[in-house]
This record gives sequence, C-alpha cells and structure tokens, in this order.
Amino acid sequence: MTDPKPSTNDIFAKIRAKAATAAASESVAHQQTPAAPSAEVSPEEAAVPVAAPKSTADIMAAARAAAKPAAAKTEAAAKLGGTADVLAAAKKPAGASPSGGAAKSPADIMASIRAKAGAAPAASTPVVAAVAGTVIPPVKIDSLQAAGLSAADMIKAARTKTDGTTVAPIALPKVALPSKPLPGKATAGKVKQEVGRRSLLAVIVSTVCTWVVLAWSSMIAASVVSLLATARFMMPNVLVEPPTKFKIGPPNDYAPGTVSTKWQAQFNIWVVNAEVDGSQVVYALSTVCTHLGCTPNWLEGEQKFKCPCHGSGFYKSGVNFEGPAPRPLERVGLRLAEDGMLEVDKSVKFQRELGQWANSSSFVGVT
Amino acid sequence: MLNSHPDLTASVLIGLGWYYLILFAMNMWWTVRSFKHDGEFRNGVPKAAFWSVVTSLLLMTSAYHFTYPPDGFLIQMPLWFKDFFNAYFSNPVLYFLLTIVGLVFMIAAREWWIKPTVAWTLLNLSLLFMGLSLTDYDFRQIVGKPDNVPIVAMLFIVAFFTWIYFTRAVDNDRRIAEGRPLFEQEDNEKVLVWPDLVYTELICMVVLTAVLIFWGIALQAPLEEPASSMKTPNPSKAPWYFLGLQEMLVYFDPWLAGVVLPSIILGGLIAVPYIDFNKRGNGYYSFRERSFAVTTYLFGFLPLWVALIVLGTFLRGPNWNFFGIYEYWDVHKVEAATNKNLSQFFWENLGGIPKGSGPSDILLRESPGILLVIGYFAALPPLLGLTVLRTYFARMGVIRFLVFSNLILWMAILPIKMLLRWSFSLKYIVGIPEYFFNI
Repeated sequence: MTDPKPSTNDIFAKIRAKAATAAASESVAHQQTPAAPSAEVSPEEAAVPVAAPKSTADIMAAARAAAKPAAAKTEAAAKLGGTADVLAAAKKPAGASPSGGAAKSPADIMASIRAKAGAAPAASTPVVAAVAGTVIPPVKIDSLQAAGLSAADMIKAARTKTDGTTVAPIALPKVALPSKPLPGKATAGKVKQEVGRRSLLAVIVSTVCTWVVLAWSSMIAASVVSLLATARFMMPNVLVEPPTKFKIGPPNDYAPGTVSTKWQAQFNIWVVNAEVDGSQVVYALSTVCTHLGCTPNWLEGEQKFKCPCHGSGFYKSGVNFEGPAPRPLERVGLRLAEDGMLEVDKSVKFQRELGQWANSSSFVGVT
Repeated sequence: MLNSHPDLTASVLIGLGWYYLILFAMNMWWTVRSFKHDGEFRNGVPKAAFWSVVTSLLLMTSAYHFTYPPDGFLIQMPLWFKDFFNAYFSNPVLYFLLTIVGLVFMIAAREWWIKPTVAWTLLNLSLLFMGLSLTDYDFRQIVGKPDNVPIVAMLFIVAFFTWIYFTRAVDNDRRIAEGRPLFEQEDNEKVLVWPDLVYTELICMVVLTAVLIFWGIALQAPLEEPASSMKTPNPSKAPWYFLGLQEMLVYFDPWLAGVVLPSIILGGLIAVPYIDFNKRGNGYYSFRERSFAVTTYLFGFLPLWVALIVLGTFLRGPNWNFFGIYEYWDVHKVEAATNKNLSQFFWENLGGIPKGSGPSDILLRESPGILLVIGYFAALPPLLGLTVLRTYFARMGVIRFLVFSNLILWMAILPIKMLLRWSFSLKYIVGIPEYFFNI
C-alpha cells in the first residue's frame, strides 16, 4: 500500500483509522461483538488491498469504532498533533475536494452518507464533522437522498456499491467512520438479523459481562465468603475458658447458714449452705443476674443478693423478690465427689421456675 | 483531726469564688441591659438599681469565698433545707409527679415565665441553688463527677431552648390573635450562605473545638478499674444519655424495655408526619396552633427522658436505691422493696387464696394481667376515640387514629408502670417467667 505520494484523503483516512483503533481498544461493548476482531486490526494490516469491507460486521465494526466517547476521540486526535492540526488538514482539501478520486473509497462513502443523513447526528464532535464534511462528493449523496432512502438503506446501498467496486484506489477499506454510528438498537437488530446464532451469544455475553454485573457479582461473592468466614469463626478450634467442672473443697468448709463468695471472682458461683424444706443442703448459685446479666453483690447485713445495675434483689435461696429480675438465680450442678470433695459442674443449670431445683444433682445434703 | 467527709475545703471555696465571679459578670451585663430597656419604678428609681444591688452582693460573695478560711464558713446550704430535700425528694413518686406539675405549670404560665426578667431571675435562682448545694460534700461527689458535668450543662441548655421556643411561640400567638404578621415573616432571617452562614459555622467550629479541648484538659476521663465479668461496679450506670433507658429497664422486662419500647419510640417519631394532620405551625413557632403536638412531645421529652436522666444520675445510688441529692451513698442502705406480680395480688390478696396454692395453669394464673393488657390496648383506643379524642378520631380516620392512640398508650405505660411499682410494689402485670414473657 505504500504509495509514495498519498493524497490528502489518504492521510485523512489514516488519521481516522488511528483514532478509531485507539478508541476501539477502550470500548468494551465493541470488543464483545463478533465484529471486534476486525476492528482491532491495526491500520497497517487493514491496508491490505483485498480487505475491502465485505460483511456487515465490518461495516458495523467501523461504525462502532466511531462511536467512541468524544473525549477519547479528542485524545486520539491530540496524539496526532492536536485538534488544530487535524482541522487545518481538513480545511486544506476543502477547496479542491472534487479533484481526488477518493470519493470511491468505502469509508468516504459511508462518511458522506452519515454526514448527510439526518438520523445520524454527525456533529457530535466538531473535528470529525469537519473532516467528514470535506470529503463528501455531492453527487452520490444527492442521488441517494433523492431516492428518499433512510439512513439504514443508505448504508446498505453504500455497502453494495463498495462490494461492486473492487478497485478501491486507496487501500484503507476498514477505517473508522467519522461520525456517530446508528443508534445502538438499530445496530443490535441488524447484527441479529444478519449473523443469527453467533450474535445471540454475543448479546448474552455483552449483557452479562458488563462492569455493573461484574462488580455486583464480585461484591456478592466477597460477602458470601466473609459470611462463611464469620460462621467458621463461631466454631473455634480451641476454647480458652475456665473448666466447667472443678472441686471446691469438702462440704464442711461451708458453715451452715452462710453464703460463700470466695469462688465468685474465679468461677462465678456462690456456695450456700442453707436449710431447704427442712433439710440442710449445700448448693451453688450462678452469679449472673436473671434480669440483664450483671453480677449482684451479696449483702451480709441484709441477707440478700443485690444487683447494682437495676436493683434486683434475691434471697439467700436465690429467689427473686425485688427489682425487675423476672426469675430466681440459677443453680449449677453440684455433687459430692468420690474423694469427699464438692464438685461443681457449671455446664448444667437448674431453674426453679421449671421445677429443676428438686433435681438431686442441684444440691448436696449435709448433716 | 482528719475530716474524711469535709463539707468545705480551701480548693472548693476558691472554685466557688470563681463561680460567683462569673455570676457577678453575668449580672453586671444584665444590669446594663436593664438600665437601657427596663425603665423605672413608680418613684423614679431605675429598675436596674435592684440588679446593681444583686450584682454587688455577688461580687462581695465572691470576694468572701476567695479570702475566708473554710472553718466556720457562713454561706452554706442550711442543714434544715438539706434534710427537707433528702426526706422528700428522694421519693420517686413525688419527684416524678413534681416533674409533671412542672410541665403543666410551664405550659400554663408560659406567658409569665418567658418574660426576660422572670427568666433571668429563675436562671439566677437555679445557679444560686447549685452554688449553695456545691458546699455539700455528697452533692459535690455526684455533680462534680466528670461524667455528670454534661448532664448539668444539658439541664441548662434544655431550659434555654425551651425558653426560646416558648418566647417565640407566645410572641407569634399574640401576633396571630392581633392579626399582625408572624415574627418569621416580619423579621426575615434569610442571609447569604457566603459569607454569613459559612462564617457563622466557622466561628462555631472554632469555639466548639476550643471548648472540647479545654474540657478534655480540665476534666479527667472517668476511667475505672479494668472491666471484669465477675465484678460489676456499684452502682453501674449507663452512659448519661441512656440513663432514661436504664431507668425503663428497672420497670420492665429486658425485651420490652430494651427492644420493644425503644423501637416504638423510634417508629413513633418516624410516624409523626403520618399522624400529624395539623397543617398549621409549619415554618414558624406557635404553641396555640399546635398545643396538643407540643404538649405530647414535651411530655415525652421532659418528664419521660430528661427527668429520668436526672433521676438516674443524681438520685440512683448503690444497689440502684434512691438517694437524696445531699445524702451519703451508703452501700448498705436498706430499702424494702418486695415486689409482687399482679397475679399474686389478684389471687392472694383479693381472692384470699393462700400463697402458692393459686391456679397452676399459667394462662389462668395470669389471666387478670392478660385481660388487663388486652383491654388496655384494644378497648381503650375506641373508648378514647368516642369520648376524649372524638375530634381527632373524626379527622384522622380509623387506621390513623388506631396507630396514633396506640402510640400514645405505649408512651403512657412507662409512667403508669413506674407509679404502680413505686406505689404498690407491682412487679409485672403479666408475669410468665417460664417463657420469658413479662409485661
């Protein structure tokens, strides 16, 4: 393709091709359509003379490449030496536009169609619009428009035309179209209509693989993982807790009628030796207030357990009598071990309101 | 001789000297203001003369505090007053009823107490009361505690904002009655965001930061010993803003006071726009046009929240007993409080059935309480709608009125239960500890 003396239109086509490729690499939707591979071909490769636009896909690719955001376009243009340069270049051939045979290039045809067709908002970026405007060969457009054709028809016509003309003087057939493409809906419809199953897959892929879907799915996945981790955390491998079974000495350590608080700080229990239903027994009470779980204090002078949080009071037996506590203190398991020591088992609880204080594991009889 | 319980020390006197000096400065400003605005008595003496006497007395008081040794100090809260206060105001029933009376008085006499001179006098009296009370050791122990300082500040701030509300509202009510334009229309406060608002915000930000820094330096953080599940501090108090909630927990089961009632408070506040059909009073202060809404709100806020915070802070001592504000917090204070459930009252006291031999079936045993609660929430709303709140019922429609009346009834159960507990030692109206269901 290395023409030693490229025409102005050649230069334009190249510029456009570069800009389009730069934008195409940024456009996600573009990459996921079947037309993507052809659009990603660099201008040099595309310049092979055989590669005249043959399929709709090619045209659509070109159209989509043009549908890049204005910012990207300007950026690409700037890379080529700034918008001003492009504009200057555009203005130059404007005077002598009909001279070149460039109008025969498919890109030019498309460009001219777009520029004229009302449906396509050609003026999306001034640079491109200007470029497109310069290369319009008035005759063709007029004839097409005179026929009263729609924009889509014009594209079709243009394609047929291009397919017919095998001899394209400038071999840059797949360059980007300068102005905005057809609306997305029309594009999708066309693809489906022409390519069938492949395109259906493409539609699905393009719906699923959007950033929104990806972002939400990864967030949900991360949440599920952390939820599972939390659930795992609830079941630790090792529990560092005081033993639930321990010995608290022989029964005669606890004098009749007394409440022992010596195990309160270590094991959260009080040991009481008191008369219950006519017999002297020792029992262990849990130090957790049945209202909201504070630790009450044993008040020797008043002979009661009194909670400092909301004022619940319990008799020596553990039965609640004042304040808001709804039920008596709980007894924990107590038995006389084989060696004559009292053994507390905190893993079992005995609640009076459920009649469990009658259970013989909840107290030890002393004489 | 070492006095472990000193009423006065030199540092307290110096602190009080500064306190009265601030009072002096405040009243000096007020005297100037009074001279400019208040006019004269009938005999031609300016009314500011009275304030100048007050101001000079305050200056002398301040100087006296700075110079005199603690022994035999004269300006103290008199003992008879302390005894009287301790004897009567550690009684929760009286305390609570007084807050209600105070609320009623505040609303009824609003045109009187919002007058600048009256309000200033009330402020001076409350500050004087506090200054004198600070000479008491036990009062100082409670009020001077770093965590309790914000509560004292809050009391004055609440009073100040209530005063602002009533001043504006009474003013607007007068304007409406006389057919004059509203204060908000006449004195349009609209200003520019830049510079007016932004500058104001900047100044507020700087002042607030300065106050917080000063506070952080002057008052030490009330840290205690490391927390232990085996040992609960006595008394164990919630953060001051939750003391009302903690007080509720004394009267109700945890699920009710800790979950249901707070949710209803929040839900009720959210539902206010739905319930409130009164379109007047929008964008301006007014009491007469929104008397019911304002009274209900003030009842829920002042006696049921602020007063309970004060009660929890100053009147609740070790073992969550009641103490007077000048009373020593004795851990061994005995307070007989044997509570009974309604079912016990019903079967044992009314029915004459000996203790323990009442009905064994839970539902039958608690049927009086269950019927009472169902009647309260199901029968009272229609009754209210047909009698006292007839106009509301007509204007609100059935569903809205039911929501509204139930919210009011929920709000009312707190004082009702409190008074029942204090007066009759009633523990629970429905008490089913077997299934953790107590009301």
